[in-house]
Amino acid sequence: MANVLQLPVVPTSLLQGWTPPTASKKSVSPLVERKLLPAGPAYLAHVRRQVHNLSFEDIDKHAEEER
Amino acid sequence: MAPKSMPNGTAEAPIEVVSAYAPVVGITFGNSFASIAVLTKEGLAECIANEDGERQIACAVAFQGEEMYIGNQAKHQLVKNSQNTITGFRNLLGKKFSEIPKDKATNSAPIIQHPSIPDEPAYTVKILQPAPAPLPATARTATNTPAASVVATPRSEPIPAERTFTVSEVTTIFLKSLLQSAENFLGKKVDGAVISVPAWFNNTQKDALSKAAEDAGVKVLQLLDEAGAVAVAISNQSTGLAPDRTQLIVDLGSSSLELSLLSLRQGLAYLLASSSDPTVGGDQIDAKLIKFFAKEFAKKTKTPLTVAPATDAQDKRAEAKLLLAVEHTKRTLSASPGAATCSVESLKDGLDFTGSINRMRFDLEVRAVYNQVYDKVKKLVEGAGLDLYDVDEIVYVGGSACLPGLDETLAQGFPETIFTPFTAGTIVGGGVGDPTTILARGCALQAQLLASLGDEDIEVKKAFESRSERLDVKATSKTIGVLFPEENASEGLGGQWIAMLLKETPVPSRRTVGFEVDLGESDSKKVAFEIWEVKEGIKVEKIKPPKIDLDEGEEEEEEEDIEVKEKTIEKEAVLGSILMDAHAAVKENGRWK
Ligand SMILES: Nc1ncnc2c1ncn2[C@@H]1O[C@H](COP(=O)(O)OP(=O)(O)OP(=O)(O)O)[C@@H](O)[C@H]1O
Ligand SMILES: [Mg+2]
Repeated sequence: MANVLQLPVVPTSLLQGWTPPTASKKSVSPLVERKLLPAGPAYLAHVRRQVHNLSFEDIDKHAEEER
Repeated sequence: MAPKSMPNGTAEAPIEVVSAYAPVVGITFGNSFASIAVLTKEGLAECIANEDGERQIACAVAFQGEEMYIGNQAKHQLVKNSQNTITGFRNLLGKKFSEIPKDKATNSAPIIQHPSIPDEPAYTVKILQPAPAPLPATARTATNTPAASVVATPRSEPIPAERTFTVSEVTTIFLKSLLQSAENFLGKKVDGAVISVPAWFNNTQKDALSKAAEDAGVKVLQLLDEAGAVAVAISNQSTGLAPDRTQLIVDLGSSSLELSLLSLRQGLAYLLASSSDPTVGGDQIDAKLIKFFAKEFAKKTKTPLTVAPATDAQDKRAEAKLLLAVEHTKRTLSASPGAATCSVESLKDGLDFTGSINRMRFDLEVRAVYNQVYDKVKKLVEGAGLDLYDVDEIVYVGGSACLPGLDETLAQGFPETIFTPFTAGTIVGGGVGDPTTILARGCALQAQLLASLGDEDIEVKKAFESRSERLDVKATSKTIGVLFPEENASEGLGGQWIAMLLKETPVPSRRTVGFEVDLGESDSKKVAFEIWEVKEGIKVEKIKPPKIDLDEGEEEEEEEDIEVKEKTIEKEAVLGSILMDAHAAVKENGRWK
């Protein structure tokens, strides 16, 4: 798996009597339009994913096979 | 990711690889200085020195007699040969003659209307043409029959002549010399270059730069926005900063102040806002500094000297000398906390001058410039709907950003945790935070990346063109994260909050985090969390400063409140929740983890 960010937090156990909340929204807030800077390896990876229509899982599989 | 970790093709390296890197370079071409960077064997980008040992190569071309000078040598011609010394041409690229303001006083060759090309800015300089070589014996006559025997004429004196260069031609001459320096260094032909361009360069200016570069024999791989060059240079460093952060780039060059606010998300970058102010820059700092020294000279020698602006011809020459000298003064000031000197031989009326200034005095003199930068920074960040406390990192670019006084001035408004090359100690001695080399280094890394694409899909390669539609992305407008509900958590969100996808993150996107969960003592071993969208803000509290006891009769001053800022998060909408069993939990000291 790519880029696992290790966090120093330790959340506590499940709260007594917690009930799952009902989602108040189906989706996230409206997205905004932005313009990327065509620079660096991250942009290259982004474009490759887009051009070859790859999901993050495909990329993981690929990396796994390369090893 | 360093280029070395970006192998291209198969895992087995070809045996006869000499250098892992293509002979490509990064070039930054400012209005006053340019630099060139290459990749070292270790895969690090580094600025190289030209034949005169300069890493910051002055953008100046001078003609004297039969000689042509380029770089700092040319800049020195501004004292005695200013009419034949060309500077400041970068900012004129792609401009028509009628678009150039004429009211600006210049201390170098004046910009004129080209004698034959309509609305084309140009320079005319006086040169000495080498005398024509004696006619070869087989010179053709008008009828194309071999001429009768010609007696070789003796070589005569060079002939005074005038030559006119367009802005584009001067740029080509200059870029050619950069290319030559790079090839001398690498010992081979340069295969391509990435050149940085300021954010305010429009397509006409970019096209003009491309053409001048191609005419100089430079294969332009990409014209990269300065902010992009910074993003590449920074993503190549290990700063320990979060991979998702907001970065402010402060570029204080000679002729302008360029500010960019970037959303950096695991190396993907885009502009949140940017601004450009041509009234703030190193030139203003120079003006203040030479005024300071001129005053000192006048006081010491009782010889009047008026500079910035100077009107009298003698004063003008003195001004040119001071301008050259303070370059050194400024560099000393930014490199060490002690006093810096300014020495000029025969400044005026044959009188030498040596003055000195310490950092405190210098900062006092140029305070107005620092404050102008600070004001612009505040405006930019506010205009983007953010607070200075939302900025995680400042990156400095440009020679004038080397001055510690600037960082100190800006620091007042930012949180104490703000990361700058000054706090990180990477600015000194050409460290990774060095503002004078960062653009060229970023360009060199980018050049290497592009060179490594080889037989990559054409669609991928095209994505690096400035008009590519692959640059358009959609990004989140609110931060999304997970909340582990907790008992007795009346404060805040009611549990442990972990932000996952910050607002202004391009989609699609993935974030994976790892952490331990305390599952308590019971054997149920269940984990649950909620997924929320949140609204972030900054709470500003004004608190009265501690009262200072005043002496009897002293007027009580209106004390200003101290602002205390705190980041706030409010729940906006719950998107879902997950309840799961922790099968892989381990028991430690009676508690499941
Ligand atoms: N170490 C230093 N300390 C202070 N000032 C410096 C230092 N090095 C260079 N400068 C000043 O910085 C300015 C040049 O900066 P830079 O090379 O970034 O400008 P530029 O990119 O050519 O100009 P512009 O961005 O306006 O086109 C000059 O005014 C120069 O005197
Ligand atoms: Mg610049």
